[in-house]
Amino acid sequence: MTVTTATTVSPTAPRASQRGPRGSLLRRRSAPYLFILPFIAMFAAFTIYPLIFTFRLSFTNWHGEGAARWIGWDNYTYLLSNPDFWASLATSGVLWLLIVPTQVIVGLVAAVVLNNAKLKARGFYRTTFIVPFVTPLVAIAQIWIVVFDQNYGAVNSLLNLLGLPDIGWLTTTTWSKPTLALLFLWKTTGFAVIILLSGLQSIDTTLYEAASMDGATRIRQLWSITVPLMRRTIMFLVVLQTLAVFQMFAEPYVVTKGGPYGSTTTAGLYLYNHITVADLGTGAANSFLLVIVVMALSLFFVRLLRARD
Amino acid sequence: MTAVISPPPGVRSRVRRSRPSITSHVFLTLLTLAFLVPVVWTIVSAFKPANDIIADPLGFNPATFNFENYRQMFTDVPIASGFLNTTVVLVFKGAITLFFAPLAGYAFAKYDFRFKNLLFGTVLVTLMLPIIVLIIPMLLEMKELGWINTYQALILPGSVDAFAIFWMRQVISAVPDELLDAARVDGCGEFGIFWRVVLPVIRPGIAGLAVLTVMNIYNDFVWPVVVTTTDRMQTLQVVLSTLAQNISGNKIGADYAHVTGELLAASSIALLPLLIVFIVLQKHFINGILAGSVKG
Repeated sequence: MTVTTATTVSPTAPRASQRGPRGSLLRRRSAPYLFILPFIAMFAAFTIYPLIFTFRLSFTNWHGEGAARWIGWDNYTYLLSNPDFWASLATSGVLWLLIVPTQVIVGLVAAVVLNNAKLKARGFYRTTFIVPFVTPLVAIAQIWIVVFDQNYGAVNSLLNLLGLPDIGWLTTTTWSKPTLALLFLWKTTGFAVIILLSGLQSIDTTLYEAASMDGATRIRQLWSITVPLMRRTIMFLVVLQTLAVFQMFAEPYVVTKGGPYGSTTTAGLYLYNHITVADLGTGAANSFLLVIVVMALSLFFVRLLRARD
Repeated sequence: MTAVISPPPGVRSRVRRSRPSITSHVFLTLLTLAFLVPVVWTIVSAFKPANDIIADPLGFNPATFNFENYRQMFTDVPIASGFLNTTVVLVFKGAITLFFAPLAGYAFAKYDFRFKNLLFGTVLVTLMLPIIVLIIPMLLEMKELGWINTYQALILPGSVDAFAIFWMRQVISAVPDELLDAARVDGCGEFGIFWRVVLPVIRPGIAGLAVLTVMNIYNDFVWPVVVTTTDRMQTLQVVLSTLAQNISGNKIGADYAHVTGELLAASSIALLPLLIVFIVLQKHFINGILAGSVKG
């Protein structure tokens, strides 16, 4: 599709070319096509083609070998009537509830505190907040396994020191989701603070001075000035993290393999599990269902936060 | 939190803003500890005798520190080849991204051409796609091409990704047209304008893209785990992830202790390079993160 695009010379002269010297006109018309050609080639080969392939695959029962049989909407109806599919979405939903509200609140408070120019060691705090973000996910996921181990882990040792009993962080269905949520929060909250801080820095500080002269408390200022003015930034963060939580795959893959008893089989991991048993048609259908869920949620949050205007 | 809320009556706003309360400091200190402790614990524990790590995870006795876990890890784990593979991918994939993404971004920002809007719209839509959607067909594509366990499979897919194009278009849009036209009048060719005018002007943006790219490539896990099946081709993150599998499959006594020790040594070694680069290039990192967050 794209090769023809690249060789066609645009019939309409580029806007800026009227100002340029005559000699370079032709080169100037063809230049952009040459510049985007490598990108187009990669994009077509590694994004567009696979996407179309997945879409077709989702209507077949292909298992990776032999001829694919067209089975219409069967993969979709199979998934939509399968309790495991809904359970994987529910697991991601619970993780979302454990992660996103906590992160927004903690992140907002941290950003407000860090935004105070008179705070000592601001740079130090900011640096440490980014440390988790640059820590390889696989490394920290493994550290989680060791630290939260029921018998030998540092966290349970600490609890014992305080006279509390051991907790099966990764081995009980009660604690497995919070432990995974904690890993996600550890990894990304510093990043959230940096984003919120950038939004905060664009707020006019005189608003706060006026508010405090009117006797508004700090909490009231946070709620009536900061939050409304930060709505776009907060919305942006919420959408970003919603995408990330519903696609979460590497964390449960490394830490829990989806267990115990499927309690950490996220939507992303459930999708991957079809691939491991070569049920590619179902996996493809699952991909598109997940895309629809993620896009619907994103739109929902965009609407929700806009509606408050 | 409570100490932040109520200002003493009669104190003016400016004064209050200039004094962060004790609570703020406590809050920040707790957060900082939460962020640092796992990393510090890992680096310190890797020097402890393997049995002590699981017998007394909180114990701290520098007298017993040694390099045994590291020695063991280097003999058991193909970490050196993991580092080598990651470095190769980093150099080539990074170079491709840092050259072709600004080039395409330049075309989108400063030229009119056919299907430009349609094409850019497609780019924006693909930003929302879960990467997992593409895994199945990409894997089949790699099999078809015979690229499983090759560097090209690790390097090419995702090397000129939609996000980098989007970002570079934003950055280059801010370069004034007059600058480009002046170069044109001076007889500069179209590519010359990109190379000699645009690139030097957008250097901070390129630096941001560079750090983000390096970080993404270094930490990439899902794609390498899918396209590499042999130890020889595994990247660092894949090598690391196989250690965890040993742990869950080997949860008894001395072996568990040894695998844990090796795991902590390997994790420390894996997280240090990026941590050092980050501390040195902090400013670019934060710019990169901020610009990168536009991805959503």
